[in-house]
Amino acid sequence: MSAVRTAAPPPAPAGRFGGLLRAEAHRFVARRFIQVLLLLAALGWVTATVIGLTQFASTTPERLAAAQQQLQEEVELSNEFREQCLASTDVPADAAPDEFCGPPVTAADLDLDWYLDPAPFSLASAGTAGAVAFGAAGAVLAFLVGATFVGAEWSSRSMVALLFWETRRPRVLGAKTAVVAVASAVLGVVAHGAWLATAGLWQVVAGDGAALPDGFWSELLATGGRGVLLTTLIGLLGFGLTNLVRNTGAALGVGFVYFAVLETAVRAVRPAWQPWLLTDNAAALVLPDGLTLYTGFDPVTGVSTEYLLGNLQAGVFLAVVAAVVLTVGTVLFTRRDLH
Amino acid sequence: MPAVEMHAVSKSYARRGRRPQQALDSLDLVVESGGVHGFLGPNGSGKTTTIRVLLGLIRPDAGDVRLLDRPVPDGLPQVIGSVGALVETPLFFPGFSGRRNLRLLAETAGVPRTRVEEVLETVDLQDRADDRFKGYSLGMKQRLGIAAALLKSPRLLILDEPSNGLDPAGIRDVRELIRRLGNDGSTTVLLSSHLLAEIEQVADQVSIMARGRCIASGPVHEVLSGRSSGDVRVRVPDRAAAAAVLAAAGFTVTPTADVLVVSGVPAPGEITRVLAQHGHYLEELTPVAADLESAFLALTAEPA
Repeated sequence: MSAVRTAAPPPAPAGRFGGLLRAEAHRFVARRFIQVLLLLAALGWVTATVIGLTQFASTTPERLAAAQQQLQEEVELSNEFREQCLASTDVPADAAPDEFCGPPVTAADLDLDWYLDPAPFSLASAGTAGAVAFGAAGAVLAFLVGATFVGAEWSSRSMVALLFWETRRPRVLGAKTAVVAVASAVLGVVAHGAWLATAGLWQVVAGDGAALPDGFWSELLATGGRGVLLTTLIGLLGFGLTNLVRNTGAALGVGFVYFAVLETAVRAVRPAWQPWLLTDNAAALVLPDGLTLYTGFDPVTGVSTEYLLGNLQAGVFLAVVAAVVLTVGTVLFTRRDLH
Repeated sequence: MPAVEMHAVSKSYARRGRRPQQALDSLDLVVESGGVHGFLGPNGSGKTTTIRVLLGLIRPDAGDVRLLDRPVPDGLPQVIGSVGALVETPLFFPGFSGRRNLRLLAETAGVPRTRVEEVLETVDLQDRADDRFKGYSLGMKQRLGIAAALLKSPRLLILDEPSNGLDPAGIRDVRELIRRLGNDGSTTVLLSSHLLAEIEQVADQVSIMARGRCIASGPVHEVLSGRSSGDVRVRVPDRAAAAAVLAAAGFTVTPTADVLVVSGVPAPGEITRVLAQHGHYLEELTPVAADLESAFLALTAEPA
């Protein structure tokens, strides 16, 4: 080994938070498993886009005429059945014929798309639903990324090594939390960008060419924004949960038991508690008008109890859960002896 | 100003279904600035717990701890930039290269990147710096750990078993490095090791731990002489006559091939006086000191 520098500096404080933040960001970006997860997600997106192209086809005058004819035949067949129904003796005396056999069927009652196989892609009707789906997929990915980021720190024990450099534990965790929050938000934005790219491609190649309704883009943007919020909160939840149990596998196990066992049991045994379930709140946060839950059923009156879980309520609930998990993890991390 | 001060520091670990384990028991330890301070003790004596307390990883139950004149843990952020540490096994991301691991640490502490190359050169790892850490041999991992500890150009360098896994050449290199750092006048090295020869070769001061206490501390040679065997080696031209004189004076004498070994001597000067009175003049008079291993074993022996 060669000579070392021998200058005697005065006592030096720990590095600045900005340096810690940059180092955490670089550590995050360089993590191989995170790169693999993102690559798999990108492959999944490409695959879904390609599959979509095979499932949709734009309309031609010939396909439209054939579908129109098929629709007309369906209308005529339905009305024939109705005539037979009206002529039969099965109609109860106290029931109106239209009530028992239904009203006459017209072409307006049927959707022409049903007779187009493959159907064209409709951005107007599928745009928001796709944004919700991509938001959900982004949230799952953010959970995994957040969990594996801090899980790797614990399994390699580099979390402890970091404390030789920055002894203020809340700062260490704060820098990691900030990086996960930003990364999860970016992931959410990218997920919605990916959906727009997919939907745009489908619309151009196999779209129905229909005009978009008023307010379409504002609703899509709002859904995308709530999706980004969901991705951020779920990423932080994955990070916080894994930091609590200090192991990625254990955190995923806890997540599985919660989603597969606890939520299923609550839905079956205590449906009134559904507004407190994470998945319902996640769905309610992203869906344009929130989520309507059926929280009870009176067998005497036959009336179901409905509960509307709104966007704001769901967002606040998820934010509080994430904050509690992160705070408990930080407090424990600050107080624990580290070996 | 001492680099390390610990007064009446205690720490016990809770154990399920059993009495708590006392890791540190009113430990008093002072490491003066400069030089190499050896930190010796058998397994479980509390060495690593002491180091973890110094670095703020473990909170003691009682006692005062100061590092570079700042209280631990509250004052640690003010001095941690001057403290380098390698505790047990080096902790790095296995999937990152050695260079990337060091760069990330340097970024955390605001250390320039050029320093990374300097310390890689110091530990002779430049050629393998771009290999992944998980592919390193134990010795290379240890060297990277030392490089990380040196990144901050520390005033206090804490090394816990730095020779673990190193081959003989690596051990020699690490000892030379520690010696150089200890001699540079600006770095204090606290060297925890179970290799007594290592402490003997490189340390100026030594503290010996047993059962969570510091049971001996001071310059290495003083700790050794304080554990003198009480024997004195005497070389004279006429061994037979000198042996007879000493025996007549009440000493227990054991002749060997070329010297006399006189046992149970409270004051070696008495031998000089007795022999000179009878016309025997000394060629050598050497107290037979116990080696560090003997002193260490005697000091750390479990009480009966």
